[in-house]
Amino acid sequence: MMRVYVDINRCIGCRSCEVACKRVHGGKGHVNVHISEDRASVPLFCHHCEEAACTMACYSGALTKDGERTSFSLDKCTGCGLCRLACPFGVVWTDKLAHKCDLCAPNETPTCVLTCPAQALSNDYELALKRARARAGRATILGGKR
Amino acid sequence: MSKSLVSTICPYCAAGCGFYVAVEKGRATGIEYMLEHPANEGSLCPKGNAALEVVYSEDRLLYPMKRNGNEWSRISWDEALKLVSKGLGRTIKNSGPDFAGFLSSSKCTNEENYLIQKLARSLGSRNVDNCARLCHAPSVVGLNRTLGAAGMTNPIPDLANSKCIFVIGSNLAENHAILSRWIHRAKDRGAQVIVADPRLTHTAWLADLFLQLKPGTDVALLNAMMKVIIDEDLVDKAFISKSTKGFEDLVKAVKDYTPEKAAEITGVPAKDIVKVARMYAKSPASAILYSMGITQHTSGTDNVQSVANLALITGQIGKEGTGVLPLRGHNNVQGACDMGALAEFYPGYRKSDDPETAKFFGQTWDTISLPVGRGLTATEMIDAACNGELKAMYIVGEDPANSDPWSSHVKDCLENLDFLVVQDIFMTATAQLADVVLPAASWAEKEGTYTSTERRVQWSNRALEPPGEAKSDLEIVCMVAKSMGLNFDYPDAASVLAEINRLVPTYKGITRERLGIGGLIWPCPSTDHPGTPILHSAGFKLQDGRALIAPVQYKPAAEDTGTEYPLILTTGRIAVHFNAGSMTRRSPSLMERAPNLFVEINPEDAAPLRINDGDSVEVTTERGTTTALARVTDSVKQGVVFMPFHYPGTNFLTTDARDAEAKIPEFKVAACNIVRRD
Repeated sequence: MMRVYVDINRCIGCRSCEVACKRVHGGKGHVNVHISEDRASVPLFCHHCEEAACTMACYSGALTKDGERTSFSLDKCTGCGLCRLACPFGVVWTDKLAHKCDLCAPNETPTCVLTCPAQALSNDYELALKRARARAGRATILGGKR
Repeated sequence: MSKSLVSTICPYCAAGCGFYVAVEKGRATGIEYMLEHPANEGSLCPKGNAALEVVYSEDRLLYPMKRNGNEWSRISWDEALKLVSKGLGRTIKNSGPDFAGFLSSSKCTNEENYLIQKLARSLGSRNVDNCARLCHAPSVVGLNRTLGAAGMTNPIPDLANSKCIFVIGSNLAENHAILSRWIHRAKDRGAQVIVADPRLTHTAWLADLFLQLKPGTDVALLNAMMKVIIDEDLVDKAFISKSTKGFEDLVKAVKDYTPEKAAEITGVPAKDIVKVARMYAKSPASAILYSMGITQHTSGTDNVQSVANLALITGQIGKEGTGVLPLRGHNNVQGACDMGALAEFYPGYRKSDDPETAKFFGQTWDTISLPVGRGLTATEMIDAACNGELKAMYIVGEDPANSDPWSSHVKDCLENLDFLVVQDIFMTATAQLADVVLPAASWAEKEGTYTSTERRVQWSNRALEPPGEAKSDLEIVCMVAKSMGLNFDYPDAASVLAEINRLVPTYKGITRERLGIGGLIWPCPSTDHPGTPILHSAGFKLQDGRALIAPVQYKPAAEDTGTEYPLILTTGRIAVHFNAGSMTRRSPSLMERAPNLFVEINPEDAAPLRINDGDSVEVTTERGTTTALARVTDSVKQGVVFMPFHYPGTNFLTTDARDAEAKIPEFKVAACNIVRRD
């Protein structure tokens, strides 16, 4: 289950999450904003999969499940790059050693969620559901428009 | 190790976001979000997130310097002050005070702006202005005339109460990113969003309806909307008769603007114009947001008046969720104008051509004869420098050599000056032309108040020591004033604010002690007044309390396309850079995201020119040629190309044709051609 939810309808492609993530992670960011056709944009980062392929590929035990979080221990990483190959979403990177979203542990709220000007990122599952329901209702009223 | 959090206000745009600078052992170690801030609720755009990179840039100016030919040499503050007082003093003595010009800075605090204009006027010069001239001068003129106050009528968080948000000529998603959260909140509550822009921007992504109009045709669109509203009887008759004047003139003025005719001029389908007019007029609370797309035209003042007219005839003003909301550019451009760093106004928008104004300030400033009359505007100062009517300039925190249109001409003009002193945090293109350069402190290294676009006056604290021998603009201006024999005895920003409290009625109650997180919104006429988030809720500050509906006619832009220059070049901004880029182009994490100047061109235009995405191209206007990388995209319409003005190349191309009243240059329309570089 992923802990930070993305609302593509709200993302304005400003890349604030990228810059903030990089700042708090010592110069290495774990978010990439993909802008599609100069219109829609979506921040891409670790989904913290329930059955995380990266943890299965990691033989050194650097990547493990820690509750909902897929945690990463820099000390154990050998830099082999298997996690990067295993990740189906392309959001684990290796730059000598692996790096990926750590949900800004031990902070309660990840930095990207706090900084997002448009509130496109949230770590509240209920909010994500509520917004989806509201959008469906709005689409019905407006006759199929988003 | 002890870590302290110092509350500051973001140095970039005018949204006025607050954040904390984390300081350990005198060094900034990070940014902490200010969740309790009323406008940004902790969030920051990419520029705000990278703000500390500028502070620690290795390009910072560390000590005063003077120029010998093409070489720079380090000098002491004493020598620098001597050179400045001699340079300015000689011009004033030999040619007269009006041969000296002062550019104040919308990056500086209110206190600093107040002192800079006081310095200029105390020396007898009328010529003081700031770069509001390049962004919202038409708002100052147009809104003062129609509504009686130049500022956003409603605060940013109030957008959440709106039911219809009409954004015209503003790419707020990139340039004032935190506004998008309030627009989303309004949408969550059922609001409809309309965006009118020549480009399909990230802001358009927020819209329910997007109108892609031709650059410079805003008046035609707005007049046609008003005609639909009048014809369909959607006007607010009670509001018009009680609170406005001039409606009959408007009815006559717009009678020829049928949606079909406007469609021909603007390129927006007639049915969309009708639809938008109905959406805006019928909604219980509609707000209009606008920005440079409205103001940076030869018809800038007309555009602003047209926006105000639309709000007035529908009564969409003075209540929650309504209003006319100009989004300003620099963190303190509102404050610089409030403080009278403008050619036509003394502090508090007292007219500079009124002898009473000079008398009023003369009594408190201990200067017997202050100059009366409008001075040269920022753009006119450049002209005057060229033809010898201005001989010395003192430029604080501005970079006209990059930010003014037709920059090659601007550089020639500045070089023509007898004496130029530039005070900045970096060696900008303008500073390179100076005789003396004074090193200033950045925002984190000084204290004072900033007034955001929503008229929110906020105190920003000093978190760090300035590097090297740099000093705050306040200290430097006081030193310069003293070296020229003036009595500028201000120990700190609070003492200047106290003087502002006495002299500017709207700031009277905004005292140092009252300024906590979120500050106060002017007008705040007394120390027990809570501030005024919504303007015009009880009439207008004009003759008999009525707003003026001031009709305007559509006028085409100064430059039109022809066979030699077949494309319209329009300019604007992107999310990761700010204005002329002297700060953001020195910020590594922003620069790596947008390192190169680009030009957006429609595939239909690119194909016959054999231009592919990513090709290096030459863009040429009558004024010069610039190279850029092509971005082939249908975000711009056929016939229109777009370039961001954060890189020095863009303003080589733009035109210095100006609005007759507000003197703003038409950055948004220039005729150009493009060829591939082979």
